[in-house]
Amino acid sequence: MTESPAVQVRGLQMSYGAVRVLRGVDFDVRYGEVFCLLGPNGAGKTTTLEILEGFRPPTAGTVRVLGLDPAAQSARLRERAGMVLQECGFPRQARVGELIEIWRTYYPNPRPLADLLEVVELTTVRNTQIRRLSGGQRRRLDFALALAGDPDIVFLDEPTTGFDPEARLRCWAAIENLRGLGKTILLTTHYLDEAERLADRIAILRAGRIELCGTTREVAAQAGLATRISFITPAAVRGGQVATPDGIEMAVHGPRSVCHTGNAAVTLRELLGWALENRLGDLDGLTVTAPSLEDTYLQLTGDAPAATSADGDPS
Amino acid sequence: MTRSVRLAARQALLEQRSFWRSAEYALFTFVFPLMILLLIGAANVGSHLPGTDIKNTTVFVPGILAFGVIVAAYVNLGSKVAVLRHDGVLKRIRTTPLPSAAYLGGLLASTVATALLITACTGVIGWLAFRAGPRLAGLPTLAGGLALGIVCFAVLGLAISSVITSAESAGPVAYATFLPIAIISGVFDPTFSGLPAWLSHAVAAFPVKALAQVLQNAYAVRPFPAWDLANLALWTAAGAAFTAWRFRWHT
Repeated sequence: MTESPAVQVRGLQMSYGAVRVLRGVDFDVRYGEVFCLLGPNGAGKTTTLEILEGFRPPTAGTVRVLGLDPAAQSARLRERAGMVLQECGFPRQARVGELIEIWRTYYPNPRPLADLLEVVELTTVRNTQIRRLSGGQRRRLDFALALAGDPDIVFLDEPTTGFDPEARLRCWAAIENLRGLGKTILLTTHYLDEAERLADRIAILRAGRIELCGTTREVAAQAGLATRISFITPAAVRGGQVATPDGIEMAVHGPRSVCHTGNAAVTLRELLGWALENRLGDLDGLTVTAPSLEDTYLQLTGDAPAATSADGDPS
Repeated sequence: MTRSVRLAARQALLEQRSFWRSAEYALFTFVFPLMILLLIGAANVGSHLPGTDIKNTTVFVPGILAFGVIVAAYVNLGSKVAVLRHDGVLKRIRTTPLPSAAYLGGLLASTVATALLITACTGVIGWLAFRAGPRLAGLPTLAGGLALGIVCFAVLGLAISSVITSAESAGPVAYATFLPIAIISGVFDPTFSGLPAWLSHAVAAFPVKALAQVLQNAYAVRPFPAWDLANLALWTAAGAAFTAWRFRWHT
């Protein structure tokens, strides 16, 4: 069971009339990982998720969730999958505990009520009517309902869109609690910091295709982004007594020197060797910065500022 | 099967609790018909239908019984389902393994309970205030008419919910599609007459007048309402067909 992935998507295509929303999407989600579909609005994230949830049959391609075909076996899938949709309301007059309690009756093996309230930090409002909850509390109630059946996989569609920073942090904490329970989590977002904070692996979806897929570092490497090494320019270099090292692209920007490299370890070793040879000491202020998801994303979506992309050219 | 029934019963209980928590629904469903019963009923005390010895209130009270059933089943269920759909509650239900039939069954069971309660209140108050009660021989017609009427208007409520496009318009649309018909069907005025022939035929085609006449038959001796029962059955079938065709779990 653990050998095959929790989610398997191959050649997924989806068209609404003449509009092609998904143009051949492939990815796997492993058991127990948090996988993030990242992309701008309109990239096809929600459509992908709705196909995985069994709400729409795909135009072409194959999809398996927990080994099931969502379109054909949606009843069985729903016993084992929790789904948090975008903007899904609650019965207006129900109370928090009451609603979770009835949700538990829908599933063959529900989680205990107290446990659900605790995971999403709603224990103190269990007797409150839902219409009196804040937006962040409602979203955490979404999580509690999605967890009611003790699912093996949880789908979260843009879980924190439109939230203030405090509400986002608490939602993230709740999602990390889900991860702590060993759930496989597939979430969509258009927030880079959310993906970077929560996801084990990320797939960047753009215009109906997966552009890149992997951990943050793998994604950056695939995008051809370089690690940045910088240090205070030694006086001897500024004065011209010592030449910059051969074979390393090193730019001297006045007080600081900067190298971009695809292989940080090798470049660092060479730099330190060069510093030792030329008696430059330990290279004061040495910093090594891995390319961030933001750098990757901006390069990919073409929104990178000119200076960054010029600096970011791989050697 | 038994699990579905149990789930539907639990759903119905939650619906009932929510209903009584919501002042607007409870107020409209109970206070509105009972107020009309007492106010218009009082104005009819002592009058008889022209050329008969049947008291006005004897046909007025069952008319308000029909009104209460229609408010509880058609207006309440129709607007509630429209709001549930608009709010995304129906879509959320679809993310769970709860069978659709169990969920809708629960909503219907709760609707039936509300309709029977308003019927009982109207009947008891009609008896206490106006001494208007069903004939002993009319009891089977009363029971059958109520059962068919509640089912008919609940199904029509599900049908109209698919036509309503926003939560805000749910109540107004539900009322606007039945209140004018109720007025020209004479539900509020036992001596109502003088409609042009074409309009009176048109009104007779709607189930509002049909339900009122079936229940009036249970209170005052009239010809057996075979046509009215057939009318209700036809509207039930039409409403069910429309619901099956148009019902959506999301907007």
